Amino acid sequence: MSPLSLRSPRLALSSHTSPSFQWLPLLPLHHSRPASHASQGRANKAAQGPGKRLGAKKGASELVVPGNIIFRQRGTHWFPGENCDMGRDHTIFAKEKGYVCFYKDPETHPKRKYIGVVFERGMKLPVPRNKPRNRRLGLVGREREMGTLATATPPRVTSGEGDDGLEVGGMTEQGGTLRQQDQRTRAKVPELKRMELRPGYQYRDSNWHIGRAAERAQIKVREYKRGDRFLAWRKLNARKARNAERRALSSRKKKGSKK
Amino acid sequence: MAVPTSTIRPAIRCLRNPARRGPSPLPSTHSFTTTTQRKDEALETTSTPSPLPPTLDPNTVSTPLEERQLLRTGVHPIGSRRRRAAILSSDNVPFEQMPYQCFQEARAVLAEDRSRKLVEIAEMRKRIVFWQNVHPSDLGGEYAKKGKLVRMQKYLEELKILADVNDPVIKKRFEDGVGDMNRPIYRYLADRKWREYKRKLLMQRISQMHIVPDVLPHLDPTAEVSLGFGRRNVQPGEFVDSRVSEIPARLKVQVFDKGERLVSIAVVDPDVPDEARDSFGSRCHFLAVNVPLSPTDTSIPLSRLKLEEHVVHHWLPPYAQKGAPYHRLAVFVIQQDDAGRGASLDVKALRESSEYKRDGFKVRKFVDQKPLKPIGMHLFRSKWDEGTDGVVTRAGIEGMNIEFTRKKPEKLPYKKKDGARYR
Repeated sequence: MSPLSLRSPRLALSSHTSPSFQWLPLLPLHHSRPASHASQGRANKAAQGPGKRLGAKKGASELVVPGNIIFRQRGTHWFPGENCDMGRDHTIFAKEKGYVCFYKDPETHPKRKYIGVVFERGMKLPVPRNKPRNRRLGLVGREREMGTLATATPPRVTSGEGDDGLEVGGMTEQGGTLRQQDQRTRAKVPELKRMELRPGYQYRDSNWHIGRAAERAQIKVREYKRGDRFLAWRKLNARKARNAERRALSSRKKKGSKK
Repeated sequence: MAVPTSTIRPAIRCLRNPARRGPSPLPSTHSFTTTTQRKDEALETTSTPSPLPPTLDPNTVSTPLEERQLLRTGVHPIGSRRRRAAILSSDNVPFEQMPYQCFQEARAVLAEDRSRKLVEIAEMRKRIVFWQNVHPSDLGGEYAKKGKLVRMQKYLEELKILADVNDPVIKKRFEDGVGDMNRPIYRYLADRKWREYKRKLLMQRISQMHIVPDVLPHLDPTAEVSLGFGRRNVQPGEFVDSRVSEIPARLKVQVFDKGERLVSIAVVDPDVPDEARDSFGSRCHFLAVNVPLSPTDTSIPLSRLKLEEHVVHHWLPPYAQKGAPYHRLAVFVIQQDDAGRGASLDVKALRESSEYKRDGFKVRKFVDQKPLKPIGMHLFRSKWDEGTDGVVTRAGIEGMNIEFTRKKPEKLPYKKKDGARYR
């Protein structure tokens, strides 16, 4: 028995039958497959970019001042707690000077992690719910001059809106020392009372009031008569004379300038 | 009565006041009162004193002019103007004579339910009396007996509510604001209405403005407090102009449980800037004690309280220094000795004691040391405005020539890097 027939009976059989044996050597020796995935271009551009430097910028019980960034993150892994706030990109930053504290507050939210700032080193967060908040004033006092106008106005307390005192008080804010302003304002009071806030946010007279200015100044205007040709003729002449004068003036100026 | 009977709209006829013109539909039903001098419902309405001209009936005035005339006499018109006009032009058929079969049958069902509840109430009262006389050892001790009696009393109160809660007349009288607050059903309805919105709003303001951890450790308001200055009403948490709050506030306190009691009233500002400590202190703007209060006497004008008897600290107008953050003014109504109902406090001792001075007054301490329980709360805010200087000068308050400005922001100490790194 030949060794070939030992290996596979079917192959041994085919070796005996001649026709299929004929075309076997015609197959290509090196078979290559076409690409099913692009090797260049958009598909392979998803490489990792540069690192974004996220993470904690300050450790626990580290000193921070207002504005210091404590944590940079994508999304809210951490939430702002006491005396902290969250920026536009979820960055946690300090609002008060103090020491950083990382904590959980199960009573407020069982799953959230918070970053807070305490005023003294060693203070714990969260504070118990019924304990008064620790608050810092964060302001300095300085001397100022009290408004004398306020003392001069009579005590009117029955209503706040539309109160005269309010309006007058609003006027004092604009400039100059308060005392000078008081005198000025007191003189203006009747005038200011009449004025009201018009569209465009300005205190001014109403239109009808402006329109009657001539009447108040007692200026008499001759009544208009429709067919009064004599008056028209006089007005025409007056206008002509005025125009001639003006023209003469301007021509003289021009001549002067040319010289 | 100018409109003929044939043109009367049935809906309007439903709206008329039966008690006013006809006999009361359920005359025997209104029996739960805490005061014996209360008149019967029908009696109450028919025997109203009438110094007013007949056109000025609070049930029927329907023109603004008449309303104003009526208000000038101190009587408020009842219900809406539209309804009053409708009443004017309807014949007032009492409920029991209305020609609507379904309506009458519904009324019968309600009446039957009510009579059943009345039987139950009588039964419950009897049982309570019985168990009161039983020796505690038969009931498993004094504590168990007390618990049982409390539970029975609670159920009795519940039954009293259930007997009346479906009565259309009761509902109408409550909506008209003429319900008698000595009766449990009207107190129950008023409480329910308060809890629907006003209490929720108040609780929101309390938590938003941190009244609860800052001023008191815990607060569960059970009385409705409304506050105003002169004619102006103030919503909880509203900013009030300093000139408006110069006069003492007027309070309206509605309690929803029966009986007279004494209350203390404290107005506290927990936002007084304390520059030395770089923090905030508190100050008492008003303190009065032993003020009587009951479900029917609701009005407490702080300016009318007797100086000798009640007032510990008189009204100090709220004020804020220029540039300081806003001040919260918390008004507390504090019931004195919840169990005893009426344990009075010593006004003189309070005035002289160093603990309850104006400056540094702490509500926590005041409430803790006495058997006191806060039952009502209101708050408003104030900040520096144009009128503050005048208010302060008139009140003789000193130290207001200070303006607060922001502190310069601190910087972190500069950390010098190791020089070796840069060689």
